This record gives sequence, C-alpha cells and structure tokens, in this order.
Amino acid sequence: VPSVRDLCRAAVDTAVGAGAEYADARAVLRRSQSVATKNGRVDALIDSESEGIGVRVLVGGAWGFACDRRLSADGVRDAALRAWMFARAAGGGNARARTLAPVEPHTASYRTPVERDPFAVSLAEKVEHCLRADEALQGPHLVVRQAMVRAQREHKVLVSSDGTDVEQELTECGGGIDCAAARDGVFQTRSYPSAHVGSSCQGGWEYVDGLGLEQEAPRVAEEVEALLTAKVCPSMVTTVVLDGDQVALQVHESVGHPTELDRIYGTEASYAGTSFLKADDLGSLRYGSEHMNITADPTTPGGLGTFAFDDEGVPAARQPVVEGGLLTGFLTSRETAARIGAGNGGSMRAEAWHRMPLVRMTNLHIEPGEGTLDDLLADVSDGIYMETNKSWSIDDKRLNFQFGTQIAWEIRDGTRGRMLRDATYTGITPQFWGKLDAVAGRDAWRLYGLTNCGKGQPGQSAHVSHGAAPARFREVQVGVKA
Amino acid sequence: VTRALEVARAALAASGEDGEAVALAERSGLARFAGSEVHQPTLIDNVVVTLRVVRGRRSGVATTNRTDDDGFADLARRAGEAADSAPEDPDFQGLATPPGPPPVEGYDEATARLEPDDQARLASAAIAAAGELPVYGFFTSGESELAVVSSTGVSAEQRMTDAMALVVAADTDRSGYAEQTAWRVDGVDPEAVAREAVVKAGRTNGAGDLRPGRYRAVLEPYAFAELLENFANDSFGAQGLLEERGFLGGRIGELVFDPRVTIVDDSLDPRGLPKAFDFEGMPKQRVTLIEEGVARGVVWDRATAARAGGNADSTGHAPPPGERDAGPLPGALSVAGGEAESVDELVELVGDGIYVTRLHYLSVAQPREGVITGMTRDGTFRICDGKIAEPLMNLRFTVAVPELLKEVPGLTRDVSLVNANDFYGERYPRGTLVPAIATATFNITGVGSAPGI
Repeated sequence: VPSVRDLCRAAVDTAVGAGAEYADARAVLRRSQSVATKNGRVDALIDSESEGIGVRVLVGGAWGFACDRRLSADGVRDAALRAWMFARAAGGGNARARTLAPVEPHTASYRTPVERDPFAVSLAEKVEHCLRADEALQGPHLVVRQAMVRAQREHKVLVSSDGTDVEQELTECGGGIDCAAARDGVFQTRSYPSAHVGSSCQGGWEYVDGLGLEQEAPRVAEEVEALLTAKVCPSMVTTVVLDGDQVALQVHESVGHPTELDRIYGTEASYAGTSFLKADDLGSLRYGSEHMNITADPTTPGGLGTFAFDDEGVPAARQPVVEGGLLTGFLTSRETAARIGAGNGGSMRAEAWHRMPLVRMTNLHIEPGEGTLDDLLADVSDGIYMETNKSWSIDDKRLNFQFGTQIAWEIRDGTRGRMLRDATYTGITPQFWGKLDAVAGRDAWRLYGLTNCGKGQPGQSAHVSHGAAPARFREVQVGVKA
Repeated sequence: VTRALEVARAALAASGEDGEAVALAERSGLARFAGSEVHQPTLIDNVVVTLRVVRGRRSGVATTNRTDDDGFADLARRAGEAADSAPEDPDFQGLATPPGPPPVEGYDEATARLEPDDQARLASAAIAAAGELPVYGFFTSGESELAVVSSTGVSAEQRMTDAMALVVAADTDRSGYAEQTAWRVDGVDPEAVAREAVVKAGRTNGAGDLRPGRYRAVLEPYAFAELLENFANDSFGAQGLLEERGFLGGRIGELVFDPRVTIVDDSLDPRGLPKAFDFEGMPKQRVTLIEEGVARGVVWDRATAARAGGNADSTGHAPPPGERDAGPLPGALSVAGGEAESVDELVELVGDGIYVTRLHYLSVAQPREGVITGMTRDGTFRICDGKIAEPLMNLRFTVAVPELLKEVPGLTRDVSLVNANDFYGERYPRGTLVPAIATATFNITGVGSAPGI
C-alpha cells in the first residue's frame, strides 16, 4: 500500500509528466468532533472525518486545481490529470507567464505540541463539560443556554515539483458558552470567551479546561439579564475602549484582510473585495498612530494559524506588518511576493483538501503596549467601554466599518459606570487607527482564535488567531441608529 | 457522481441499527477569473455521508467521505460511540416516517454533462464579452445528489444541477455587477451577465458623496434578496420564533409590512432551484410567511414542531445534520412580484432618493428588531426627478427591515433568481426569487469607498 507521501509524489510526477511546469499535491486527513448542548439537552454530537488529495498545477502560465477523495493510485492520478486539463482549458494558450518566488525545498515534519490529546478526551466527558456549563447559566429571563466544545486534528502532506516534502499534524480545540434573554420585546445575548462558537487554539484539551466555562457562566448569565433593562448606547462622538476580543476582530477586518496582497491585486474583487491599500504603499503609508504595531506570526504557540510550512511549503516566519503606525508588510503567496518583489510568500492556506490555497491571515497580532485595562479607563473622563463582538461589517476596500458589541459600559471619570446595550461604533480604517492612543500591556494580551474567516470562490473558512489586548481610541462615532 | 442513495444505504447497512443516513454528493467545476484571466479554476468531486445511530433515546452522529467497507465500518463505530456518549433525551421523538416526496424539477442532463473545458469556455465567454473593461467573477456548474434513508423506511433521493455566472466589471474608478443562476445551463448567459456588469460600471465613474439620512430607494433584486435572506435567518425560522429572537414573535396574524408584500418559501417552484425533501426526508412544503403584509408563519422541522406543540408540524425544512443548531431556515424565499413593468417605473415612483444595485458584508445588529447593517457596492446612484442620476460612493446603511418593508411604493412584475450560495462546504443549490423593490425608507449612516477596485 503506497504511503500518503508516495501518493503525493505520484500526483506531482503525473502532472509534471503531462506537461505542467509546476505542481504541488496536498493530501489531508481531518478528524473533528463537535459537541453542543442547549437548554440542558445535547444539541449536537458529531464525529467527522474527511480525507482526500488536492493537486494544483501551473500549465502554460495558467493555474488549475482538482481533487479526489480517493487516496489511491487511481485517485491521485485522476486528480493530477484533471487539474492539468482544467489549467490548459483555463489558460486557452494565452496565459501570461507567472513567476513564483523561490523557496528552498524542505523535507521536514511538524506536530502541534499537546499536553492532553483532545481525542483522548471521551465524547462523554465532552458532553458532561458542556452540560455543566449549560446548567451554570441561570436567570429568570434566559431563553437560550448554550455550551459547545470542539476538537480537530489535521494530518497533511505537501509535496511539490520544487522539491518540498513536508508532513504536518495540526491539533486544535476550543469551546464557549452563549446565552440569550428576552423580556418585553427586548432580546439580548452574551457569550464567553468570544461570540461565534467561542474561542479555539492549537494545542491540547488543557486549553478547554483552562477556559473555565462553568466558572464564568454565572457572570455571563447575570450580565445578559442586566442587559434587558440597560440603557441603549447613545449616539455621540467619544472615547472608546475596546476589550481584547473586539480589538482582535478590528485587527482581523481592518488590518488583516486589507494587507492580503491577493486582495490588493484584485483577485478577490468578485467576493470578499479588494483593499484601500496599493502595492506601492509599502513603507510609506501611515496606517495609524505610533501605538499601532501589527505582526504576522505563524510561529506563535497555540495560534490557529501556526504551522511549520504553509500550503506552498514556505517556512513559517514572523513578519512585521505595521510598525509604529507605518505599513511595512503584506501577507503574500509565492506568486504575489514575486510580483511585488519582496519576500517569498508564507501565508498560503487552504481550508481543506478540496480547496485551492489562498493568501490567508496566519496569526496576526497587535503588539502589547503598557498597563492594564483599568489604566486605559483611568485616562478617560467621558467615554464608553465595549466588550465581546456582536455584529461586524466592513466595505469591500476595508475602509468603512461598523461593529457592535454585546455589552458596553459608560466610562465616567476614569471608571466604569452604567451598563449599555446595543452598542455600536463606526469609522474609516486609517482615521480610526490614527486615533489609537493606548494598548494595554503584555499581562492583558490574549490569543483569540476565530474559526469563521470567509474568503474565496468556492468559499473557504479559515481558522485564524489574533493576539490582542484592550485598546483605547479617541473621537469615535458610537451609537449608530437604524 | 457516486450515487448518493447507494452510499447512504451502505452506511446504514454497516451500522445494522436503528438510524438514518444522509449522503450529499457533488461534482462541480468553478472557473474563477480576475483581471479578465481565469486564475483559480477548481474541480470538486466528493460525497459526504452522515450516519445517525439511535440507541433507545440516545443518538449520535458521525460523517465520512470514505465509501469503502472500512470507511463505512468505521463510520458506524464512531456514530455508535457518539450515541453511547449522549444522555437519554426524554423528548426524543423517533426517526421520521414521512410520506413520499413530491415530484420536482431541478435536474438538467446538459448541465450535469458540462466538463472542465465547457466551464472554462463559458468563463472565457464572459471575459470576452466584457471587452476592454477588466472583469472579476466566475462561471460554475455542478451536479449534486442528496439521499436520505432510515431504518423507519425512508428512502428518498434527488439529483440537482445548477449553473451560475457572476461578473464584477471594474477598473480603478468604476464597477458594476451582474449574476444569473438557473438549474439549466441554458438559463445562464455569461456574455449577457458580463455586458450588464459593464454597462452598470460605465455609469459609476465620478461618484459623489451623500449626506447620511433616510432616503426613498430602489433596490435591485441582487440587493433585496441578500437583505431578505439575512432577515429570514432570525425571523422566518421556527427556532428564531421559539427563542424570541425573530421579528415575527408575537406578531403572527398582524399586519407587519406593506400589503403589497407577500413572501413565501417555495422549494417546489421550478423557477427556483427545486427541492423535494429536507435532510430528514420530510417533503418540502410551500410555506406562506407574509401574505399581503400580514405575518402568517415560519418554517419548521420535526424538532422545533415537537418543541412548540399545538398545531405545529414539519414543513420540510430540517437543516443538514451538521447544521442542526441553526434550526430550520427558509432555503427558497420567494417574493411576489408587483405591478411595475420595469425598474425604471420604480425609479419614477421613488422620485427622489437612491438606487442600489447590490450589497456587501451584511451583519445583523439587532435580530429582534430586524436591524441589519452593510454596504452598497458596484452601482449606487442618486434618483432625481424620477430618473437615475449621478453615481454615488458606496454607502453604509443601517436599516430595520420591517421599517423598510412598511411602506413599499412598488415592486416589479418580473422576479429574478438570485443565488444564495457562496459555495462553502458541500454544494447544495439555494436561491431567492425576488422582484426589484421601491421603499419609502432606506437609512444611510455613512459613506465608504468609491466604486472601482
């Protein structure tokens, strides 16, 4: 029986033999488990697996991609030939020559370090974990109590005609709780540690245990009850302090996506959009204030975008994107890096074996500043503190954004005051980041793991982490009304 | 396509227990282009089978795409382990025992036979028709097959096809959009889609600003469909109703929208992307959601109907096994056309306001109130003196959908099928049939970027 590595090599050989000037083959075997409870009952209990091979080829300057779920000699040969055929048809003999930034071929393997294997944790224990957290969410007006945990292991092998031959095993897990309360036509939600299926990381079950879902549940339930009678966030221009969770999403949407070089070159124009940045803005565009330092780092322990090699075989490397408010880096592929003449890529990832790699965020962090959340609040005479994302929207060039959070508080004379509901804020990306005047320090810096970053046609959902700490922005429009 | 019914039967047989197997197979090609060259052509061939094993009042689910004996045996083992790990569900209602599904259209042999060469050729046709203006988009076609079998005798299968062309025509100063979707490839004309996008783009050069505020507006079907789909996720499904999240809670039987507005969910309509049954094998039903402005109901699956009690019953809207947490949702929204013969007639009705081609990145800010924010994109214009006037920057809107639908001066007689599928996960065609709509209130809350890329 040929090994997965042998099958990948056979796919590459088949494509090159057919006339491809470049080929890579990526075999992926994924196992995942998802457990969720709602109102004291199991809502989801799913053990999933998926496997197959994706073959990407360059033929006469045109890309082609095809896949096959059969990890067999026939399957990989068919995938390679179909990819070659599609590339040839797509190019129509008129494709321009493409250059890929050179990458030194590696033969290597990598495995996520884990203390407690998430798949060694029984499904029964996972169910019990959720039920305990679910039960701890209590309140007279709660209409939804939810808890969920998840685990995923991806074993992938990448072989390319450039000599890359790498094998990686990436393990991740996570969890979260949500609740909703309703009274007199008012509906409010509250989540922990993040909305939108909680937070995840690469690592072992120790991460889920460390979230303390059951311990946090009473506070979360108490807050959602209080939101039912809270005052609606007023409409005004004021100082805003965002918690780390919301800063993470702000970084994701208004720094991560616009610095993806494929968007800048227009290849996402038909779906996710483009960017307000231009390739020649590198090194000259002022993105924000001097407090703004953003780093892409696929080597971050625990990050969902952590790997040893991306899906083009480029070794993981930490890279500044914004330094002291100045744009200094883009997220790139081998092709876009060659086009701009800087770097060699390193941000290419595919959602699964049956999707083509795209330029994706890896782990994109805002670097910590100094002090605590209380220190940020202390320097605000009149403002609003917002916590936990609820809604998010940004335009196709990543300029005009509007975010809502689940909960907010007035800030009066440096301390938190009354609770506010339906809080929103809006702005224009570089103007907003220009008003950043403080980021909390290392002790307040956390890694937030998102599993729902959409891009591509057909659509792909990426898993991305952001290190973030609470941050303060001056002169922000809040309280957008319908 | 591997026959989904055979796969589902084999999976159920491997378990030898009470249970249900759902198989979804896909064979598709998508030729994506940017800057007028195909740059991401993707061929997909896959089948995913989900097995639900039932042991008394416990059940567990496992999925795989391995369809050999070892794959099925492992699937049965994992589903059994999942069932054993679940606590007993005292409200477990057993597996479905539905009547046979209704006959529907939705499969076209010519579409199913399209090969990569054809998909690339149809993408190239769009590119060529655009002429000098660069285009960004794709042509895709696919064949999907859904099968549901169960130990209670369910054995349902449906083959589906779909084709779609989408084009954004744009350079640095202008952009326009168009798309077409049908289950017959003959119903999609990539060249016409490209020409529509190019013409629209040509009118967006030199976009101006607009002061935030409430405007009368015309929304093309692309924009109206997306807004409605986002509203429907909270307000037209039983789970949103039961959890007091949706707008229709406590309002069934009340006049909530303009009497010109009638909305149904109709998977049986051959003008859409027809479906015969849901992911439990329950037959699809036409469900009236809004009738001449009056709230009539929501869509249900067996689980939510049982929870609600009373007269509630499944309407054939059980979601895929991996998405049950979302509850039953409409998948074939359809808005009745009005009396306007053209979009120009709606523009006349509006008189002074704005014209919106499509939307971008919508997010529900307040589900109970139906408040949604997003941006306009690829063709926003002023309406002055009953005519489309100067182009506008992309605008941020924050609207309460019920308010937008409260006063509707008119709708076009013709309706268009707008794709509701971004092709995430496994291919399962979905679309929304809508007319263009005129509204008395569209709330602009900000200004974004200029048209163009």
